[in-house]
Amino acid sequence: MEQLTKKMEIIGVSKTFFNEKDYFTTLDSVTFDVHEGEFLVLLGPGRCGKTVLLNIIAGLVEKTSGSILYDGHEITGVNSEVAMVFQKMALMPFKTVMENVELGLKFKHMPKAERRKICQRYIDLVGLQGFEKAYPSALSGGMKQRVGIARAYANDPKVLIMDEPFGALDAQTRYAMQNEILRIWGEEKRTIVYVTNNIEEAIYLGSRIVLLSQCPATVKAVYPIDLPRPRDMVSPEFMALRTEISNNTDLSI
Amino acid sequence: MTDKAKRQRIRKILYWGLPVLAILTVVLAWVLFSASHPELMPGPVAVWNRLLRTFTKPIGRINLLGHAWASLKRVLSALVFAWAFGISFGILIGWNRTARAIFGSIFEVIRPIPPIAWIPLIIMWFGIGETAKVLIVFIGTFVPLVINTSTGIRAVDEINIHVGQVFGGSRFQILTQIVIPTALPHIFAGIRTSVSSGWTTVLAAEMLGATAGLGSMVTKGWNGGDMALVLVAVITIAVVGFILSTLLSKLEKVVCPWNN
Repeated sequence: MEQLTKKMEIIGVSKTFFNEKDYFTTLDSVTFDVHEGEFLVLLGPGRCGKTVLLNIIAGLVEKTSGSILYDGHEITGVNSEVAMVFQKMALMPFKTVMENVELGLKFKHMPKAERRKICQRYIDLVGLQGFEKAYPSALSGGMKQRVGIARAYANDPKVLIMDEPFGALDAQTRYAMQNEILRIWGEEKRTIVYVTNNIEEAIYLGSRIVLLSQCPATVKAVYPIDLPRPRDMVSPEFMALRTEISNNTDLSI
Repeated sequence: MTDKAKRQRIRKILYWGLPVLAILTVVLAWVLFSASHPELMPGPVAVWNRLLRTFTKPIGRINLLGHAWASLKRVLSALVFAWAFGISFGILIGWNRTARAIFGSIFEVIRPIPPIAWIPLIIMWFGIGETAKVLIVFIGTFVPLVINTSTGIRAVDEINIHVGQVFGGSRFQILTQIVIPTALPHIFAGIRTSVSSGWTTVLAAEMLGATAGLGSMVTKGWNGGDMALVLVAVITIAVVGFILSTLLSKLEKVVCPWNN
């Protein structure tokens, strides 16, 4: 059995946006645990609150109510042990691949030689050796997201949040990147919280799936996935699970 | 295949040739018009001779290059101050909400006033010396810098700031290492506008009273009915303006190498 230490606990987190006349609730008392070392997938339809939820977990956005425990302690604001891979990649166009990857370590005032060494390791890990001096504009979508992954890992996070990281990629690149991220997760055991709206991707990647509902998002069900890796997308077990989750999923849009 | 290559080559020649052709047409029109109406427009030969005469018989003991340099010096000294203050002020009101609330509205009111409208007040306060001219140019260059810089800072996508926060950047680190570089193309657009606006403003300022400068040459030619001299000044203004903008686009490629 894998260790079941609770790395993070998301307890009753709600988020309501207000403006002068109206309000809009995106998250309604969302509760789930993140286990140490697991690949947790948050699966939810359409565009409802998933990014907001991740931003709250990362401490970028304030929650309306609820609490977030990290190693058993309540935290507010940005947590230095949590890094993020962004949906829109969000690389700095004016920085080279190397400079993008070393951003976090530079903020920490780590000496250049030391941080270059660490970053080179992660650039190699994501398979971008030779592109250290390239600007993002010269890279393909898949390569850009590799930079985003290396940037997150170089910061040595305990928990890595990924917000639909491969959503903008074409299907072929997407499959390749899914295998890449599993390989990296195998080599660099970190806890991953991965958001997607794609059921196959969720079942293919996740140790567990937290299924979110339509707006406002609540937790509908949690599915542990015990299928052996590498997973076969057309095996009967995979298909059965796919059907089960699919039947429980709210229609999006 | 060869047909395609041929067409491509023709197109290449065309896009090289068209600008040359356009300029030649203007020159030809000038030649024809000045030949039929010499009293309205001096011809190229007259202008060329007048240009040579600015060296043999300098105006106010300063030759053409000296006049151009006098104008340029005023613009450059105003630009040094405008870049320092305009960019910092633009960053301040773009980044800091309180500063924007205080200065933003004042700036919105001052912004549409053309710089030359301040000339009477400034002459009254500072006389007609160098300070007054540099100050007028400063006003003309400061405004586009502040506008472009603050717009650029505010246009930075929130996600870039989130990246800075997630990776542990302080507010100051996020400003200097993410926000300002992201806004650099905008800031550079401000710099480019400031240079052309400074060059325009200095000529207006010089036309209202100066002993040196291309603007004073225009006035001198105008007062003496010497239209060839006016044209010499006008062409010099155009050439210097062209050189400045070429240098700036070269500089932009050095400062923002990721941008091409």
